[in-house]
Amino acid sequence: MIKLAGNSRDFFKIENKRWILISFFLALFLLLPILIIFLKIFVDKGDSFKYLLDNFLVEYSINTLYLVLLTSFFSLIIGILPAWIVSLYKFPGRTFYDIVLFLPLAIPSYIMAFTYSDILSYTGPLQSFFRKYFNELYPFFNRDYLQIEILGLILAFALSPYIYSVSRVSFSMIGSTYINISKNLGLSSFKIFYKIIIPLSTPAIFSGLFLVIMEVLNEYGAVKYFGVNTYTTGIFRSWFSMGDIDSAIQLASVLLILVFALFFIDKIFNLRSKFNYKSNTDTNYLELLHKNKIIFAHITCFTPFLFGFFFPFVFILNNSFKSLKSTDFNHLLDLTLNTLFICLSASIIIIFLATFFQYSEKLTKNKLSNLINKLISLGYAIPGAVVALGLIIIFTTFNNYFNSVYLIGSFFLLIYALVIRFLAVGKSPIKSSLEKHPQSFDETAVNLGLGPLKLFQKIHFPINRTALGIAFILTFIDLMKELPITLILRPFNFDTLATQTYEFAVEEMLTQSSIYSLIIILIGSFMLLILRNFINKNTNVS
Amino acid sequence: MYLDINNLVKSYKKGSPLIKKLNFSVKKGEIISFIGESGSGKTTLLKCIAGLEKINDGQIILNSLVLNDDRVFIKPQKRKIGFIFQDYPLFPHLSLIDNITFNLDKSFLKNLPYMLNLTGLENLVSRFPHQLSGGEQQRACIARSLIREPDLLLMDEPFSNLDSSIKGSMIDEIYKILKQTKTTTILVTHDINDSLNISDRILVFKAGVLQQYADPVKIYCEPVNCYCAKVLGGLNKIVVNGKVSYIRPENIRVVKKSSFKVLVEKCYFQGRDFKVKGSIENEPCFFTSKNPLKINSFINIDFDSNDLMFFDSLCESFFQ
Repeated sequence: MIKLAGNSRDFFKIENKRWILISFFLALFLLLPILIIFLKIFVDKGDSFKYLLDNFLVEYSINTLYLVLLTSFFSLIIGILPAWIVSLYKFPGRTFYDIVLFLPLAIPSYIMAFTYSDILSYTGPLQSFFRKYFNELYPFFNRDYLQIEILGLILAFALSPYIYSVSRVSFSMIGSTYINISKNLGLSSFKIFYKIIIPLSTPAIFSGLFLVIMEVLNEYGAVKYFGVNTYTTGIFRSWFSMGDIDSAIQLASVLLILVFALFFIDKIFNLRSKFNYKSNTDTNYLELLHKNKIIFAHITCFTPFLFGFFFPFVFILNNSFKSLKSTDFNHLLDLTLNTLFICLSASIIIIFLATFFQYSEKLTKNKLSNLINKLISLGYAIPGAVVALGLIIIFTTFNNYFNSVYLIGSFFLLIYALVIRFLAVGKSPIKSSLEKHPQSFDETAVNLGLGPLKLFQKIHFPINRTALGIAFILTFIDLMKELPITLILRPFNFDTLATQTYEFAVEEMLTQSSIYSLIIILIGSFMLLILRNFINKNTNVS
Repeated sequence: MYLDINNLVKSYKKGSPLIKKLNFSVKKGEIISFIGESGSGKTTLLKCIAGLEKINDGQIILNSLVLNDDRVFIKPQKRKIGFIFQDYPLFPHLSLIDNITFNLDKSFLKNLPYMLNLTGLENLVSRFPHQLSGGEQQRACIARSLIREPDLLLMDEPFSNLDSSIKGSMIDEIYKILKQTKTTTILVTHDINDSLNISDRILVFKAGVLQQYADPVKIYCEPVNCYCAKVLGGLNKIVVNGKVSYIRPENIRVVKKSSFKVLVEKCYFQGRDFKVKGSIENEPCFFTSKNPLKINSFINIDFDSNDLMFFDSLCESFFQ
């Protein structure tokens, strides 16, 4: 008996090593481009960096930071206030808002920026309306709207659902006890909001804000269109316009330092999250909103939907009808299929890898596995342009040995980059779902004779199916909106809905770009509505 | 009276009130316990008194001020009522001292040293809730409520999450604090011993209706119906001279000769004595014995006829 037990322990040790080893090499493969850029930080920066420092770096830094601050400020307001009202109060229209406030996520921020620049332009509906009906007010509206402040606001409308969704879940899970005790201690509703609800939800809000900041740092289409020079546009400019790959690398490494700093701050906030969702508190029942506050609730909830989804959607829809005759539907179908092909392939690989990494950590309960899982999430924090640049450096460097330069511009490299960048998106729901189930499930199954693969097939796959579904939808939506990686790494003559939208937009052919945007928005909205149902069922959000 | 509850009705669904026309009063400085089964409306009643729920009918008067009736509803923020919730909800982002002084009117700050001393928390003021034990968290909740000198203190199952090892000392401590501060208190509990130990009066609640409201001794020894009798302790049904009577297990003695013979079915050792389960004329019967008894043997029991209780013949089926 003793011998058998010893053998079985050995078996699990070997089995664990095998899982850790595979995880390690897979993670190394995925982290390689980031590692290459990271190492460049320590390399002698030479003349190109000095030139960059003297001429552009200050401007890029100021613009990037200013845009991040503006977008963060606006998205916090646009995201938190509706979440507070929808999570804690009952009023007519609440269910409608709870559905539609997620929808701006379906519109990629660059499409939102193109659309608003069209709406606000000299020939757009706003200026035309005032010229026609309120001529005396017209001079006030006749101005250049392509300003960084307007861009910040537009990006906030596009990205605020990241903050809305995390705040919504967090506010609902605070429960009734803290709210009741606050009332009992004499706090008004507003004081309860900023003295209790906000501090308790700070880690969640910051994780949403972190995503917003990452998206702003990664943004290319919108900032380029508005003529705002940020790090990301700088990387494109140095590389494609000036042919200076060294400057592009230096800029990417500066951006990487910034991202690491943000990642570190996020970790500190997450450390505080241990108090966040205390389980000792009952579900909070929605409070009936007083009649004179209902108007405030409607304004607060309707504004993000109106500007974040309704206006751009109606405008794009209208433009799509206008351009219907000139639309090449075969081309549209091709691009839709291309987009679906890329998104589906990358999503499936991401879900497979994310499940493998998470399951490996659960199985081995090893510190190295835990570290690997943390590191592979880094990709989401790195702008797409940096990931693409890292891959190109690797594949040109190893060209002498593997003739690898031919892989640049292949589907392999495009999907490789997309997997690196979006692996964290797919990993997050799988991680929380796997962590929810007790260790005794595994122990019982092993005791009943199941090996690791059978354990996954018979136990973990069925009980984590919903999480896998959520992970797939989240990844798919993000992939569909992705632009910089596809622009840099797509195969020759290969377009997606996103790249076609961008190309028409930069050529000032916004009407022609609309139908491509519309398809992205419709697919995204459909997926988001499914996702919203999944999430509400899983978190029992009231 | 200090607190008057008159004809209080509370319902969540139309036509099925959770609390039906409840009437009772509390004197200043009294400690009252509410006893009843889960879902009987005990916590809801506390929430109505605190203003966290509105009543459907009736009246709540505290210290001569109407808190809630069909015209008046004073917001929970404006009522001077302390509420200690079941799970000691200290705000996790605030230190102990910040929790105790949270939203505290400056005029009450003078009470802080006394409260910290009374609750023995002087050395823990800078700690955060997750750095405190269950007992310390509970004392902090009590300090947070008492520092405001509430007109009334409501405690909802305050001892339910405490280890039995510290529970007894906590109850003693809280009793001392409440009596020292002369705080009128309503305690909701389903632990009868907590209630008997600490209360001046006990209110038994069943199906939304007040069953009995009396001091612990009276309610234990002279329950008005078999529900009140059962809820406060063990009860045996026994037929004496052809009349159905009830008796507490501790009032039964094992004797050598008697007209009441019990068939011993089980005998459990419980430390200081043995708990015996048997049957007398096919009715189950529980009592204690100093010595172990042989299973399936017949033994004789006796009791003092003054300890017998009599209820309405329909009482038992009514409360089933």
